[in-house]
Amino acid sequence: MKLIKEPIKNWKLWVVFGVLFLLSVPWYFPTGSYKPIILGIPYWAWIILFVSIAFSATITFAIKRLWITEEITTERKEDNKWNKN
Amino acid sequence: MEQELAFGGWAGILIMASYGLLMLGIGLFTFLRNRNLRNSNEEYYLGGKGLSIMVLFFTFYATQYSGNTIIGYAPQGYRIGFEWIQSITFMILVMVGYLLFAPRLYALSRKHNFITPSDWLDKRFRSKGITILGSFLMLYGLGNYLLEQLVAVGQGVSGLTGGTIPYQIAVVFFIIIMLIYSWLGGMRAVAYTDTMQGIALLFGVCILVIGSIIYFGGLPTSANYMATLSPEKLGVPEASGISGWFSMLLLTCIGAAIYPHAIQRIFSAKNESTLKNSLIGMAWMPFITTGVIFLVGIIGINAFPKLDVMESEQLVGMMANVIASQNAFFYWAMILLFGGIIAAIISTADSVLLTFSSVISKDLYGKFINSKASEHKQIIVGKISGILAVAVLLLLAWYPPATLYEIFVLKFELLIQIAPAFILGLYWKKLHTASVFTGMIVGTILASLMTFINMEPLGVFSGLWGLLVNLIICVCGSYLFQVTTEEQTEAERIIGL
Repeated sequence: MKLIKEPIKNWKLWVVFGVLFLLSVPWYFPTGSYKPIILGIPYWAWIILFVSIAFSATITFAIKRLWITEEITTERKEDNKWNKN
Repeated sequence: MEQELAFGGWAGILIMASYGLLMLGIGLFTFLRNRNLRNSNEEYYLGGKGLSIMVLFFTFYATQYSGNTIIGYAPQGYRIGFEWIQSITFMILVMVGYLLFAPRLYALSRKHNFITPSDWLDKRFRSKGITILGSFLMLYGLGNYLLEQLVAVGQGVSGLTGGTIPYQIAVVFFIIIMLIYSWLGGMRAVAYTDTMQGIALLFGVCILVIGSIIYFGGLPTSANYMATLSPEKLGVPEASGISGWFSMLLLTCIGAAIYPHAIQRIFSAKNESTLKNSLIGMAWMPFITTGVIFLVGIIGINAFPKLDVMESEQLVGMMANVIASQNAFFYWAMILLFGGIIAAIISTADSVLLTFSSVISKDLYGKFINSKASEHKQIIVGKISGILAVAVLLLLAWYPPATLYEIFVLKFELLIQIAPAFILGLYWKKLHTASVFTGMIVGTILASLMTFINMEPLGVFSGLWGLLVNLIICVCGSYLFQVTTEEQTEAERIIGL
């Protein structure tokens, strides 16, 4: 199996993760503030929620597009296993 | 957590007995379909490396989310309010942690045929010290994790049945079932039961939140209540809490991803696309698991105001009780929810136990004690040591020692110390073996000591301080005592793809 692309080697991905990580904790809002409240959720919690969605979307992208291998050995191995059985 | 449920009694016993029988049935089915699994480590511990996408996804899910996630996370949301929305990020970061190592480790596991996480350490460093120390750290962390689940299952069951089934009998009943199906079907049985357990948990949680919204009023009602009476639960948290959050998030990112039972699931994937799709699914599960449970806690603020810490621990039970008394549909849905909670605890415990057995049988017994043992014999040793471990942990759960209780709390703090060897080893051929060993041992001692004396400088957890020192020793040591060219070539051969 040959790894053509792996997420850890893509520095841009880790910059994005770093920014999202920093944004995922609400240090950048005034302490104690909660207005406006939308659908029962304070404004800052909405933003944290959006950051979380962005996190999951980035992970999905990374797994789909930045993790690419040539899977040859596995298939061969699987054939062997069936033969053994 | 002793919920006095009006609907306890026979319905509770019935649902528990059905869950138990279903799990046994799955174990028996797996056993009959795969007769040869007791003779091969790969078959027994990794399900023949053939877990399909749905099974792999649910076994990841049921392993990562325990019953504690529901019973404990809702009260936490109740107590601290909207700050607990962070529990979503928490679980997402575990997936970021996977991206650090899973692609390469998966590829290497196919190249070198790994069964246990220690197989990787052994292959990479060829050092008895690192393999044994790493295995012990894993066993210790896993043991304490298992202990936690054993305590939780007893409390959960006696709560579910309103005390009809006493704590001890509940624990023994479920543990015997768990041991039988693991014994019969190994990883396959564990993963199949995880699938059933994961579905029950998801269903129960969703019905709980729907019921809460219908019968206690939705989020706007709760938000109005908080704005008037406890605005601190609604507002942006104070800066002092924030550094704690950052360090907790970092600890989760590295610590939870490197859980040995999670790593073994990476090895068990049928193929790469199965693994990738399961992980993508997992990246979105926090929203409908911890996110939903967080909502239950928030609704609880309005539904059951002014509970103290101990009372709030019973929040899920209290809410379920009210919802169950509304009509027959919710009555049975809540019974399923409690079954799901118990199942979720069992499904975490079984995964931990299987990995625990595999480390003892393959890494310690098979490598160092009796290297000529057949795989069949190794598996038997693993099964017996699993039973012994459970017996010892049960005694500990029922007769907790008066002193030194802290040593049973350590898990993340110790598990995380294998991270430098595990992750750096995948990419850096100049990593120096003796420095890795020293770093691991110093990090472990430091993290344990700091936990015992309750020291958390700058609000950062002891485990992370241990990891930092561990990492510095690994990196500086590798630059100071350079590895020979032959060793580099050998490392290149092992990690190269």
